Amino acid sequence: MIGGALSWLRARGRGGNAEAAQEVRRWILAVYAKETLEVIRDRRTLLVMIVLPALLMPMVILGISYLAQRQQQQIQTVVPRVAVVGQAPALIHLAYASKLIAPVRAKDPTAALRQRQVLAVVEIPKNFETIVARNGQAHVGILYDATDSESAAARGKVVDLLSRYSQEIVAARLAARHINPRDLLPVVLDQHNVATQRQQSGQLLASLLPFLLAMWAVVGGMSVAVDLAAGEKERGTLESLLITPPSREAIVLGKFLSVVTASMGGVIVVLLAMMVSLRWGYPYMLHTTQKVNISLPIGTAIVMLGVALLFSALVSAVQLAISIYARSPREAQQYITPLYFVTVLPGLAVQFVSDWARSPWAYLTPVLNAFFSFQELLLGTVNWGHLFLAAVSCAFYAALALEVAIALMSREGVIFRV
Amino acid sequence: MTDHEVLVEAENLEKRFRRYHAVRGVSFRCYAGEVFGLLGPNGAGKTTTIRMLTTVLRPTAGVARIAGHDVVHEAGTVRRLIGVLPENAGIYGRLTARDVIRYAGRLYGVPPDLLRSRLASIAEALELTAHLDRLTDTFSKGMKQKVNIARALIHNPPVVFLDEPTSGLDVISARSVRDFIERFKQEGRCVIMSTHVMEEAERLCDRVAIVAGGRIRAEGRLTDLQARTGLGLEEIFVQLVEQTVA
Repeated sequence: MIGGALSWLRARGRGGNAEAAQEVRRWILAVYAKETLEVIRDRRTLLVMIVLPALLMPMVILGISYLAQRQQQQIQTVVPRVAVVGQAPALIHLAYASKLIAPVRAKDPTAALRQRQVLAVVEIPKNFETIVARNGQAHVGILYDATDSESAAARGKVVDLLSRYSQEIVAARLAARHINPRDLLPVVLDQHNVATQRQQSGQLLASLLPFLLAMWAVVGGMSVAVDLAAGEKERGTLESLLITPPSREAIVLGKFLSVVTASMGGVIVVLLAMMVSLRWGYPYMLHTTQKVNISLPIGTAIVMLGVALLFSALVSAVQLAISIYARSPREAQQYITPLYFVTVLPGLAVQFVSDWARSPWAYLTPVLNAFFSFQELLLGTVNWGHLFLAAVSCAFYAALALEVAIALMSREGVIFRV
Repeated sequence: MTDHEVLVEAENLEKRFRRYHAVRGVSFRCYAGEVFGLLGPNGAGKTTTIRMLTTVLRPTAGVARIAGHDVVHEAGTVRRLIGVLPENAGIYGRLTARDVIRYAGRLYGVPPDLLRSRLASIAEALELTAHLDRLTDTFSKGMKQKVNIARALIHNPPVVFLDEPTSGLDVISARSVRDFIERFKQEGRCVIMSTHVMEEAERLCDRVAIVAGGRIRAEGRLTDLQARTGLGLEEIFVQLVEQTVA
C-alpha cells in the first residue's frame, strides 16, 4: 500500500529522485505511525472496530436464524384452532385423527378470526356430505388473515387437511369404478439438487457477507477519519502539523493509511467473527439436517480481502476528504452518515438486480463493483475480467478521492474554516 | 545590525480573505539574537502576519523571506528553518509528551540519536523530564504549552515564532515560558512573538511593532518609542489603537 502510494506520488512528479522519495516515505510512515498509535489508544475506536463486530456478528447471524427457525418449528408443531361452519362429520373426524387442526365452533367466526380467538375459518356448504356421496363437487371456503403469519400457517394446514380428505374420496370413487389410482399418474417426478455444499454455503455467505463487509469498511474507519482531520482542526493541532516540512500529500497519505488500517481491521474482525459463528455456532444452535460447510478456499479468501482492501481504500479516502472539509467533528459526522447509507444500501439491492452482474458497466460503478465481485467470489462463479475491471475502477476512484482530499488540505479557506 | 544578520524580512505583506482586508502592507525586519514583538489588539492582523511568515497562508501581495528564502516559493526550506508555537495550539492528548516531541522530530527529519539527546536536553530545560511518559491529556495548560515549545524547538531552528505564548497560562507557567524566551535570545535565535500584554513586551522584546487595522502604526526599540512620544508603552499602544478605530 505504501509502495503504491509512493509510486503514485512519483507519478505526480513530486518525488523526482530517490532521496526525495525516501523523505516522502519517511514522512508518510511518521504520520501513519503516530495516527495509528492514537487509534490504538482510543477506546471508542477500538470498541467500534473490534469489540462491536465481534459481539454483533454472532448475534446477527445466529440470533436471527435461531429466531426464524424457532418460529418455523412452533408453526409446525402447534395445532391451530380453526372455526368450522357447517356440517362435515367425516372431515372433522379426519381433522382430529391427523391433528392438523383443532376444529371449534364459533358464534361469529369472522369476529373470532379478527380477535385471534381462532386462526382460520372453514365454511362447509349445506348438504356437503350428500354432494360428496353423489359424486358431486363441493366448494369449501377458507377465511384467514394474510398479515398474520400464524393465520397463514393455519390456512396451509386446512388446505392440507382438505387435500387429504379429497384424496380419500377420490380413492373411494376410483375403487368403486375398478380403476387403479396409478393409472391417473403417468408421470412421477424425481428431483435432485446438484448444487454442491460449497455452492450452497456460498449462497448463504453471498446473501450476508458483502453487506456486512461493506458496513464495517465504512463504520471501522469512520471515527478515525473524523478524528484525524476535523478532530485535529478542533483541537488546534492541524496548524502545527502544516508548519512542519512534510508536503500536504505526505500528510494526507499518512492519515489515509491509518483510516484504511482501521477500516480493514473492522472488515477482518467481521470476517473472522462470521466464519467462527457459522462454523461452530450454526450447527450448535440450529437443528439443521444439512451440514454447513462454510470454509472458503484460501485463494478465494485472499482475493476477497484484496477486493475489500480496494473498497476500503475508496471509502476511507472519501471519509477523509469529507473530514478535511468539515469545520468540526460534528459536521464531519453529519456529512459521513448519509455516505454510510449510500455505500451500504446497494448491498441489499444487489440480490434483486442479479441480471446487472452480467454487464461490464456494473463492475465499473463504484460500490456496486465491489458487491458483485464479492458475490462472484462467494458463489464460485468468478469472471477474472469482471474482477480486473472492479479492481482497476476501485483503485481509480480511491485515487480520485485522495486527490480531492489533498486539494482540500492545500486550501487555506478549508483549513481555516470556522 | 547589519544586513547579513537579517533572518526575517517582510515587505509590504498583504492578505485579503474575500472582502476582508486583514493585513495591509506590513513591512519589517528581524535579526539574529533579538526578540521582536508584534503588539496589537485582537483582530489587528498579528496572527495572519505570522501565518504568512510561517507558510500556512499565502500572501495576497508582498514578499517575505526567512534567512533569505521566499516563504511562498521555498516553503519547504522555510519550514525547516522555523519553529512555531501557534495561537491556542492544541496537543495530541492520547500521546505522551515524549511521543509528541519525537513525532515532531521525525517530521523534521532529525536523526534518531540526535533526536534522543535533544529531547533529553530540551525536556530538562523545560523541567519536563519527570513527565515525559505521561499522556498529555493529563497535563495542565502550562505543561501542555511547554510540550508544544519543546515540539517547536526539536529541530533547533534559528527562527522562532510565538503567537500569544503566555495566553491563558497561570503566573508560574507564564514566567517559565518567558524565561525560556530569554534563553532563545541568548542562544542567538531570532524570536518573533505576538502579544497584547504590555509588561511582557517591555520585559522581553528588543524591538516592537504596534499593529492595528492590518497596518504597522509604530515600530522601533522600546526606548526610542518612549523617548519619541514621552509616553509609556501602554499609553503609546492605546493611543495608536484609538486613532486607528477613529
